[in-house]
Amino acid sequence: MKHWTEGFDDGDADESLVRPYTITGGRTTSERDDLTLITLVTTISEASSEIGHGLRRMQPEHRAILGLCRRPLAVAEVASALNLPVSVTKILIGDLIETGQMRARPPLAFAQAGGFPSMTILEAVRDGLRKL
Amino acid sequence: MGYASSDHGDGAPLAVKILIAGGFGVGKTTLVGTVSEVAPLRTEEYLTHASVGVDDLEGVSGKATTTVALDFGRITINSELVLYLFGTPGQERFWFMWNDLVNGAMGAVVLVDTRRLDVSFASIDFFESRGIPFVVGVNCFHGVRDRSQEEIRKALDLDPQVPLVLCDARNRAASRDVLLALVDHLMAAQRSRTAPLPTS
Repeated sequence: MKHWTEGFDDGDADESLVRPYTITGGRTTSERDDLTLITLVTTISEASSEIGHGLRRMQPEHRAILGLCRRPLAVAEVASALNLPVSVTKILIGDLIETGQMRARPPLAFAQAGGFPSMTILEAVRDGLRKL
Repeated sequence: MGYASSDHGDGAPLAVKILIAGGFGVGKTTLVGTVSEVAPLRTEEYLTHASVGVDDLEGVSGKATTTVALDFGRITINSELVLYLFGTPGQERFWFMWNDLVNGAMGAVVLVDTRRLDVSFASIDFFESRGIPFVVGVNCFHGVRDRSQEEIRKALDLDPQVPLVLCDARNRAASRDVLLALVDHLMAAQRSRTAPLPTS
């Protein structure tokens, strides 16, 4: 008779690296490449009543993200709050966007070809900093 | 009023970021914590030496994969704009490849410690080569201004246009003034700009 643990993987090997990806069902890259550290993500409130709908394997982390993002948070803030690597967090957020439970607002892109913050933004940042 | 052409109108503010760079122990996390409205947050990422992010974990045991941690903070500018400050991880050779960290930054503050100017050389080289605007903040937290600004400029081989400001990363007003120096620098560059940003 087989022992029930037979066939279990030796999950201890390299656990710091492997374990977070069990949350994502083994996926190591997000299908979305538009999520950045400072993309602001928000839970769509009308969708929260049907949490889990359309998601094959809703993990506790998915629910935690939906709870956290009732107000807009940056991807980096979500990762920090869940104590998960950024790349794992992006996969989970990607799932929730895919199933219509979250929306994302991309940041303005600067410091790239042709990109430069507008005077309006710079003035707003300056005024905000002066109030500190 | 809406700052972006890509305004989604979903109520979320627009996020911008500034990098706080410099070598190990120059006071990056201190500065982030001093001006942030929340206690500095920490997040981690896996980086392989070959790529950004984790796009290939097969046979990972044979690869050099590193966890890098960075501290960041937030300043709510107004209801439509949030500024994030990211203190870059100590190990330059990893975060230099981390495009997500670097891309989209308005600019950077490179902190230097006059006792160990060399630890910040790599950051200066990096921003110069990527054409990312930056200012240098001389962190005088040890209370010793043992070198003149001219000496520091010379030692850093700094372009005359790059502002250099003295600061104390533990002091809120002084840290804010470094950020303001960067914003002023960006505004001056914007005003004088008639053509796309030069690449060097």
